[in-house]
Amino acid sequence: MGANGAGKSTLVKVLLGLVEPTSGSASLMGHDVVRDRGAIRALVGYMPEHDCLPPDMSAAEFVTWMARCSGLPAAAARDRSAEVLRHVGLFEERYRPMGGYSTGMAQRVKLAQALVHDPRLLILDEPTNGLDPAGRDEMLALIQRTGSEFGMSVLVSSHLLGELERICDGFVLIDNGRLVRAERLGALTGETGTLVIEVDGDATAFAESLSAHGLLAQHERTRVLVQLPDGSDDAATRATYDAVRDAAIRDGTGLLRLERRRGHLEDLFQ
Amino acid sequence: MTTPGSYPTPPRGDVTTIHDLGYRRYEGARVGQAGAWRALYGQGLRTMFGLGRPMKAKALPVLLALATLLPALALLAASAASQGGLPIRYAIILQPQLILFVLFTAAQAPELFSRDQQHRVLPLLLTREITRTSYATARLAALMTALFFVVLAPLLLLYIGEVGVAADPAAVFEKMGTRIGPVLAQATITAIALGSIGAALTIWTSRRAYATASVIGFFLTTAAIAVGIDNLLGVSQRVVELVAPVRTLSMLAFLLFGETTRGMELDPPGSIWLYIGALLAVSTAACAVLVARVRRLVP
Repeated sequence: MGANGAGKSTLVKVLLGLVEPTSGSASLMGHDVVRDRGAIRALVGYMPEHDCLPPDMSAAEFVTWMARCSGLPAAAARDRSAEVLRHVGLFEERYRPMGGYSTGMAQRVKLAQALVHDPRLLILDEPTNGLDPAGRDEMLALIQRTGSEFGMSVLVSSHLLGELERICDGFVLIDNGRLVRAERLGALTGETGTLVIEVDGDATAFAESLSAHGLLAQHERTRVLVQLPDGSDDAATRATYDAVRDAAIRDGTGLLRLERRRGHLEDLFQ
Repeated sequence: MTTPGSYPTPPRGDVTTIHDLGYRRYEGARVGQAGAWRALYGQGLRTMFGLGRPMKAKALPVLLALATLLPALALLAASAASQGGLPIRYAIILQPQLILFVLFTAAQAPELFSRDQQHRVLPLLLTREITRTSYATARLAALMTALFFVVLAPLLLLYIGEVGVAADPAAVFEKMGTRIGPVLAQATITAIALGSIGAALTIWTSRRAYATASVIGFFLTTAAIAVGIDNLLGVSQRVVELVAPVRTLSMLAFLLFGETTRGMELDPPGSIWLYIGALLAVSTAACAVLVARVRRLVP
């Protein structure tokens, strides 16, 4: 992931062998992307960011053709095409010319053509581009199912962090062509050592009151953030919660929310 | 036959389940690059005639192909009326039809070379079992095969017709036996020349209109230059014939079928190998341009 122009699509194209790297080397599933391009072809399915559907072809015809161009025999290509189109949720529409498809249907066909030759790795470049919220949810669910049910590794490139958070196990953040961070998602979105408190009243005064009683508190807009003691010691954590409760009673401040803060991918961009 | 008792007993308290097969891996055969090449070639050849496409896509290629047959049919009808008295002259018939073949190339070559760029199918193909070189060769082969059939059709019609309308078909067939060679040679060389030039020109743009215009423009320009140097510089007819590919193809037809015009009688043409060599040289150069361009295309 990365902002627009960070180099996500370029990275994908280098991995697929569509663009020669100007320097350095890359390998995909143990194969060098420049020297072993032939070995990679059968292993990888690619869904590009841009439109790639000839408008006067039907989805059935196009996906079958793509299967044959991946080296499947004609009869097997037809079977596989019918199967993956059903999987992505295209039924009767698949015999209509693709020029009349909605963006949602077009995205499904693009996913189907990437799946048709049964690759081991699926590379999806901005798969939710142009979709409305409902279509986006469906596409994300489809991608997640494809990953878990089919046992395929899925590499998704996107600048929409919220949606990545929902379907990914790990992330790589790049910016301006450079690697910024690469981690498993759990490490980032787990509970953090910060307590978030929303109060019905003056947050600034409440933060000062907590600080006066020895808590590491600061206010952030309408919220108060309290640093929990290190070491996730249950007794110490509980004592902090109690101290907050006591302070609220003492000041007569209403508590609206009290929770451990969770990490978000958005934090990386701040 | 199994006896009823031999059926396996269902497990105790069995639950009816709907078996969702879910996703199935593909474990079957893969035919690799050769199969992918055939798929690309086959799809290209069908596209050239609008097969499997809507009626709109069929109209132009079918009309052009039919138009090339009309003069041949007219000549055959005239020949039949005169009971084979009117000689059938292949090269004379072919000469104006070369323009129609050029139009066919201009209209249909972009269907292959520009469309894949316009609809951005090229990056998909290149991540499959298709290399840049196999893309260029499969598409070029499809274009040449289509042109071969389009050029062959009127010549073959004349050939079959000439035998058919003769008073004594057997005798004519005897005499004509050697003529199928020139028919095939003319169709092959015309397909190679027009196909490679058409491909080398249309690969440069993803806009079909520009691609079509560039093909028509090329053949018009070379024809105009040929006329120009003929009138202004008064150079040898050999040079003029070699400048415009359409005129080279026309001269080739006259030599292959052993026909002459008044002009050729006054100024005998060069060796047939001169024209074949020139056409193949242009074709080779065009193929090199095509392959070089496809190598550098950034999808």
